[in-house]
Amino acid sequence: MPDLRPELRRGFLKAVAGGIGGALAALAVVPSVVFVGHALRPSAVAGADVPVRVAAPGEVLGGRPLRVSITSDVRDGWSRRTSEKIGAAWLVRGPGEQVRAFSAVCPHLGCAVEWNGNAQTFECPCEGSTFDVSGNRLDGPARRGLDELEVVATDEDIRVRYQRFRLATNKKVPVR
Amino acid sequence: MRDDPPHSPPSKRQEVDPPRRPSRTARAATWLDQRTGYSALVRLVLDEPIPGGARWWYVFGSILVMLLAIEALTGLLLATAYSPSVAAAWASTAHIQDVLALGWYVRGVHSFASSALIALALIHLLQVLLFAAYRAPRELTWLAGLGLLALLLAFDVTGDGLRWDERSYWAKESELALVGGLPVIGGPLVRLIQGGPQIGNYTVLRLYALHALALPALTLLLLVAHVALVRRHGVTPKWQRPETELAETTQPYWPFQAARDAVACGITFLALSLAVVAKHGAPLGAPADPTRSLPVRPRWYWLGLYELRQSFAGPLEIVGAVIVPALLALLLASLPWLDRGTSRSPSGRKLVLAGTAAGIVGLAVLTVLPIARDRGDVAVRRAWADAAERARHARQLARQGVPAAGGTAVFRNDPAFAARELWTEHCATCHALDGGGGKEAPDLKGYNSRAWIQGFLRDPNGRLYMGPAKIEDGMKPVEATDDELRALTEMVYAESGAEDVDRSLAETGRALFEQRDCDRCHALDGVSGNEGPNLKGRGTLAYLTDLIADPGAERFYGERNRMPSFAGKLTPEEIAELARFVRSLRKAH
Repeated sequence: MPDLRPELRRGFLKAVAGGIGGALAALAVVPSVVFVGHALRPSAVAGADVPVRVAAPGEVLGGRPLRVSITSDVRDGWSRRTSEKIGAAWLVRGPGEQVRAFSAVCPHLGCAVEWNGNAQTFECPCEGSTFDVSGNRLDGPARRGLDELEVVATDEDIRVRYQRFRLATNKKVPVR
Repeated sequence: MRDDPPHSPPSKRQEVDPPRRPSRTARAATWLDQRTGYSALVRLVLDEPIPGGARWWYVFGSILVMLLAIEALTGLLLATAYSPSVAAAWASTAHIQDVLALGWYVRGVHSFASSALIALALIHLLQVLLFAAYRAPRELTWLAGLGLLALLLAFDVTGDGLRWDERSYWAKESELALVGGLPVIGGPLVRLIQGGPQIGNYTVLRLYALHALALPALTLLLLVAHVALVRRHGVTPKWQRPETELAETTQPYWPFQAARDAVACGITFLALSLAVVAKHGAPLGAPADPTRSLPVRPRWYWLGLYELRQSFAGPLEIVGAVIVPALLALLLASLPWLDRGTSRSPSGRKLVLAGTAAGIVGLAVLTVLPIARDRGDVAVRRAWADAAERARHARQLARQGVPAAGGTAVFRNDPAFAARELWTEHCATCHALDGGGGKEAPDLKGYNSRAWIQGFLRDPNGRLYMGPAKIEDGMKPVEATDDELRALTEMVYAESGAEDVDRSLAETGRALFEQRDCDRCHALDGVSGNEGPNLKGRGTLAYLTDLIADPGAERFYGERNRMPSFAGKLTPEEIAELARFVRSLRKAH
């Protein structure tokens, strides 16, 4: 009968080396994934909580959209910054006296759209999507119209609740 | 001899399986091997013959490699969250430590593993000295190993600066000062490291570039060379075993030495993790503050060199700081050429072993001395306790996000701290807070307390009250019995909105207020002005806010006012913070 002991011993040592090696690798991977995965947790997005004052009602004229900057306090990783520009919106009067606001972020790939007074359209300078004065998509690679923002208007001022939405989709889904 | 179990079944021939297609994995492995030849490399590593067989004392090299791999992984993770600049270094480190998921653990492992690396590298070095493993033909293995040790120390010096807390800042400041003290090259060298005439953004960035890019590349290079050379010349077995016995007992690395290495690595990692969990990661102090120093000591493995330098204080400091350590390093590096003997038995190497022992004892003594000295030094311990308190406070505030200016700007998150800064800048030039009397205005220590008010009533133009303001024709001392004075005090005290007011006593005071003609100068309606300030709501938050904003208003000091108005100078929020601060002075005795 052959002596099986050296073979058993070899097998045992292989199991020890492989087992511990595998366990160590797992122990290295798990905390790494948790650490990096912190970015996946929901967190506060600048400007989304409170409507920000952007203009006085008299500044918005019919037929000529007004570009306004959104200024907000920002929590960014370890830092806290006050009164920082976080984005822009286009204010449009009409139909009637109502003031509507559209995010200047093109819903295709996120460039800032500009108003073309001659063509009476919003145009994206990056890939050429165009939108009408009510934000409806006219042409180009964008898959939805401009994202409308919530407006709170009083006699004294116009406030906008600024939000960012997921890009390159046909649905308007807020980023959280 | 082997004992078969009595009831073991008779062994029978295994039936031969019909030939099967190799598994998917096996086919993938073959495909890859035909193209890369990786299996030859794997065999080369795993089949390494170990003359004399696997041994527990060969595990240290493998542990060191594992620790380096841990440093690489945790370093990469930290690099995804750390920002090397004066403003962001401390703030991002605090964010890693106190906010990010398991950040404290990742940072703790990175820090503790660096300590373990040095400890095990020293054991590894000692082992080589005892076995005379540095001798020909292993001189280059020895030099590569020493180079790796030097790199580990360089990792420590550069990494220590990255968190940019108080200790880290002052450590870099003094290390750069030592470098700057070197003859001829000192000045330019310091500027190169700092990236300019003073410590700043470039300093942090350069420490980071060295720590995270240059040193890892060099380490990898030297490590590959070191391991390849070890492989080429084999391990150095114990001296007394004859060649023939070694050859007979040779074992391959896999799995004999590999199992021992794995067990040792597992134990090391477990101990490391437990230490990190027990200490909740590595320490982090308050952000670097160039105006506030503290006694800084290097980590344990530097203490010997630190003490050596201390013992050469004075013009000869460079001897202890540079010359002696450099000579020792040179001695170690040239050991293979100095010790050319052939016998590896201890009796033939008395000088080297005695030198090693002397080195260990010397290093141990030099390491223990400063620790013992600091233990007995009350001032040092208090400075460290204060620093720990600042650290706790700063890290608590950092959870709200550090203002963009970074570093010590974190303290602006604390309203009380911010108010105190405002106080120092705008109020302290005239007012005092220490009970010693102000320069041009009342001392506000205990302001709004009964003692303060009573003292004022008794001696309004005293040193602690309006005296320094030198008001012409100011308030006269109140002439009253002690009981009457207490009642008047209670009445004024009640106006501040205090909660522990004796109402009936305050009522008595209110009656006395008119009897003593106080109302001739002081109104109580909160609106009108008179010779003296209107006392309605005196000492409340609203009163103080209005007073600081415009002390010359009719209801306050009117034409007699000597205090500047702050309405235009400070924002309403800042004035409110100052008012809150002044109100808090009642309790600060």
